[in-house]
Amino acid sequence: MQLSDVDLYNAENWVEGVPHEAFRLLREQAPVFWQEVPEADGKGFYAITKYEDLVAISKDPSTYSSWRGSTMIRDLPKEDLENTRTIMLNMDPPQHSKYRKLVSQGFTPRMTAALEPKIRKTTAEILDRVTPLGQCDFVRDIAAELPLIVIAELVGVPLEDRHKVFEWSNKLIGFDDPEFGNTEEVGKLAAAEIWMYANQLAEQRRKDPRDDLVSVLMMGEVDGEKLSEVDFDSFFLLLAVAGNETTRNLISGGMRALLEHPAEWKRLKDDPSLLNPAVEEMLRWVSPVNHFRRTVTRDTELRGQKLREGDKVVIWYPSANRDEDVFPNPMHFDVGRTPNNHVAFGIGEHFCLGANLARLEIRAIFDEVIRRMPDLEFAGPVRRLRSNFINGIKEMPVRFTPSPAVAA
Amino acid sequence: MKIIVDYDRCEANAICMKVCPEVFEVRDDDNLYLSTETPDESLRAKVMEAVRRCPRQAISVKD
Repeated sequence: MQLSDVDLYNAENWVEGVPHEAFRLLREQAPVFWQEVPEADGKGFYAITKYEDLVAISKDPSTYSSWRGSTMIRDLPKEDLENTRTIMLNMDPPQHSKYRKLVSQGFTPRMTAALEPKIRKTTAEILDRVTPLGQCDFVRDIAAELPLIVIAELVGVPLEDRHKVFEWSNKLIGFDDPEFGNTEEVGKLAAAEIWMYANQLAEQRRKDPRDDLVSVLMMGEVDGEKLSEVDFDSFFLLLAVAGNETTRNLISGGMRALLEHPAEWKRLKDDPSLLNPAVEEMLRWVSPVNHFRRTVTRDTELRGQKLREGDKVVIWYPSANRDEDVFPNPMHFDVGRTPNNHVAFGIGEHFCLGANLARLEIRAIFDEVIRRMPDLEFAGPVRRLRSNFINGIKEMPVRFTPSPAVAA
Repeated sequence: MKIIVDYDRCEANAICMKVCPEVFEVRDDDNLYLSTETPDESLRAKVMEAVRRCPRQAISVKD
């Protein structure tokens, strides 16, 4: 492979897996790489693949804006851009800091730890539904279930509605995958459905406040004003999607990595005290979010490359997480890797708000799987999501020796 | 060396405490406490690592 073969934008190049060979080449030969984009999707961008650069850009929102052109690669028409800016992901400080403070109190280590008993119990129940069967789809039956229930609980979506949220988030994220619609229209429709749903929920909580994030948001104020309907809907959309998809793909992708590295899988089973470093290694290895975009706000320079105001840069998390300058032997999956300062959750202004919660969920699942499904193995081909944005798995059939349910 | 914490940015991720427990402590109330604002020079390397690794850029150092 040579530089002229690299195309990070074309989703076709992500079907078999993350294009790690292209990333290795870019880190070595072109760490600030000009990537063309089909004209219909807007201007080309600079692909940033080194850890150090990703960190510097993430920590400098005044030069590298999330607001100016949003965080998606595709350039949006003005109206869509304005809509997307109501989502926290696409804000800059000081506006971003104000909105973030509103929700962040729901995600502190203490708040997260308080959810642990519920998460443990839910995990045991999820496994109870599959262990007697001896086979299942790891994605749908295990990995998707926990994040869905936890985020539903956290934001206050009634349990019976949680699969609606699952379908909508699939459509919203999977716009490059034919199975989920393949058109922007489908994504827009899903977003509209989530917004309508959020409004109904808000209405209920306004009348009947409860101990959930929706109620906190309803009470919340930014600059002395109550959240607008649009603000609220955007919060809901971000929490519902960000809390689902990413965790699901990390759990599926982490399980896949373990099964593809039987020595490491055995090492973890033999020594469960490795669970914490193993979770960090799964995060590094999978990097569920492939990229976010920033737009340059003033002329600057990066590794000798002049960047002009208005230029797009796209930071690639899976590449930073395999940067040879930071991680010794980066292409080796090592459940005991220490230190492991990966950037799977990003860093700086937009550092993942749910990082503590995600870690707790992942630990709960693997703790349970190790004990109850130790001989789990592939039972069919793994089907990946066709996307340059999300490192996702749609289906992963597995089999194991059946065992009875244990929870009450 | 004087440590400055932006408590508006801090979200109690406690990475500073892992890197340099001599200075940083995140207690059960989710707040960050400093054992001293002006630690000994011998801790400089650890403090600077805490500054760099804070995911929220909430810690800085003034000389």
